Amino acid sequence: MSDPLISGAIEALKKKSLREGGFANGDQGNYRTDATAWAILALTAGGAEPELVHLGRQRLAASQLPDGRVCISPEHPEVCWPTALAILAWHKSPAHQAALSRASQFLLNSSGIVYDPTAKGLDEHNPSLKGWPWVAGTYSWIDPTALGIIALKATGQGSQPRVLEARDMIMDRQCLHGGWNYGNRLVYGAELRPMPENTGLALDALAGLTPKANLEASLNYLQSRVQGLRTPLALAFSLLGLGAWGERPAAAPSWLAECWQLGDQFGGYDTTAIALFILASSLSGGLGSIFGQESYPPPG
Amino acid sequence: MGFTRREFLGACLGGAALGVSALLLRRYIRRRWHEKTFIARVSDYQADIAAVILAGLRELGISPEEIRGRRVLLKPNLVESKAKYFHINTHPLVVRGAAEAFLKMGASRVLVAEGPGHCQDTLRVFVESGLFEVLREDKIPFIDLNYQDGYLLPNAGKYSRLSTLTFPVTLKEVDLIVSLAKLKTHHLAGVTLSLKNMFGVMPGIYYGWPKNLLHFQGIAASILDINLTLRPYLGIVDGIVGMEGDGPIMGDPKPAGVLVLGRNLTAVDATCARLMKIDPYRIEYLNQAQDRLGPVNEASIIQAGEPISALATEFKLLNQIPAQKGLRA
Repeated sequence: MSDPLISGAIEALKKKSLREGGFANGDQGNYRTDATAWAILALTAGGAEPELVHLGRQRLAASQLPDGRVCISPEHPEVCWPTALAILAWHKSPAHQAALSRASQFLLNSSGIVYDPTAKGLDEHNPSLKGWPWVAGTYSWIDPTALGIIALKATGQGSQPRVLEARDMIMDRQCLHGGWNYGNRLVYGAELRPMPENTGLALDALAGLTPKANLEASLNYLQSRVQGLRTPLALAFSLLGLGAWGERPAAAPSWLAECWQLGDQFGGYDTTAIALFILASSLSGGLGSIFGQESYPPPG
Repeated sequence: MGFTRREFLGACLGGAALGVSALLLRRYIRRRWHEKTFIARVSDYQADIAAVILAGLRELGISPEEIRGRRVLLKPNLVESKAKYFHINTHPLVVRGAAEAFLKMGASRVLVAEGPGHCQDTLRVFVESGLFEVLREDKIPFIDLNYQDGYLLPNAGKYSRLSTLTFPVTLKEVDLIVSLAKLKTHHLAGVTLSLKNMFGVMPGIYYGWPKNLLHFQGIAASILDINLTLRPYLGIVDGIVGMEGDGPIMGDPKPAGVLVLGRNLTAVDATCARLMKIDPYRIEYLNQAQDRLGPVNEASIIQAGEPISALATEFKLLNQIPAQKGLRA
């Protein structure tokens, strides 16, 4: 690895690995599925530590429940959002195709709660469109839905009806002046503000699924917003989202360098943050480009 | 197996007697439960806020002996960030003032921790809210609660259907939890003050963004469950500039010039509601809190510092928001 920043980040990531396989999110933390999957993706993108990647995939497979879901911890079977991350972590691993298949089936067979579209609630979006929730039995939100789309696209299931409906759900929640937040564009008639991290992930998910013309406002919002971002999650998701549309800013390397240098002042970064930093530093496209899927030509 | 008429009447009378006893007990508890709050007039953020908080702690009977050697967690309200929108979040200078006050009282460690309900990048809100700059100068650590490993506690409230609640591990490593809230209206809860602020300790990785699992269980029920399970030590509410109208993020700034402190968060919130000219009994979670968390009745709350009447100011409520209808005192 020639980039010293990425090498340094990989060294920091290795310190979060656990002897029995997998990763903790924080120092002296417990094994976590989400942190493990992000770390596997980062190490895969960085082309490093195949043994840690293998052990992490094994640990994730051991965490999978019989119905295919991968939960945040055994005590929280309802918190199933890491399933999409696990699919990405197992992708291209011949030893884990059965686990991947079960996880994909779980995603395709589950959704957030939907209700009658004529009874639009306080948030004024279409509640009948199925996406994915953070927690089973609750509503769909932007990030778990975007991760679900990215996972299914990466594994060749991007034309599944559930993926297309999830795309529609994300488009329905786009803020009026572009961008996304966690998933509400209006509440009681008031237009809510977009946020860069949700916007980046949504754009990454939508690459290849919708014409660019539908997203100009969101791309413009993020191009402007990313200029001042130096914290890992917001910066990384923004760069990945813009990269998925071939719009990664030329100044990205210097922003990433500043972001890494800030880490000490925050008391160090956790595994999720380090992994996203590595991904945004290593990839010129979106998350799919880990697997050689570059920016998608927009259909139509 | 059947009942005789006598047995049936006996059972009815027994049930009625139990019901009346419970009602009387509840009334007795409400009448006997007294708490103290401290109201300070603070006209702007350039005031010596640490001195105000120290005066408040003294008025509340909190001595240095009670704080000395203890680890204190300050939980501000960090929701979203937008440049110069200081009415959304607990002001950084109030956080600084509280940290300074507890350190002067002998706390062995003060840390600031939050898990924002809307933003996944906690550090971004931390930086953009201005809190990072202040805490960096003061060398006070900040902990992101949204991504921490959790530990389970039995739900002590049982107002919601949740049998357990998952808290971030940092909460196990401190002695005192201080809710450092903002004086705001809220489009779902009516108001958001020191009790509602505790939503922010629930990690996003377990509860989602927004903390939809808690919304699903009922906001009032979740507020009561979290506070009954966690029992925060103190509430401090930043009402120097609060928010009125479409809170907690889209409302307008409302200069109210007040800081409110109290050991009992229900009493603090009832006092804050009165300062906003809102009837605290009409806030669902406060109305329910009076049985198990603290007093709402004005006569049961001993007000130290300024009287409510000297600082009460009408916070705008919006007709189109159901949770804000009919709240006016």
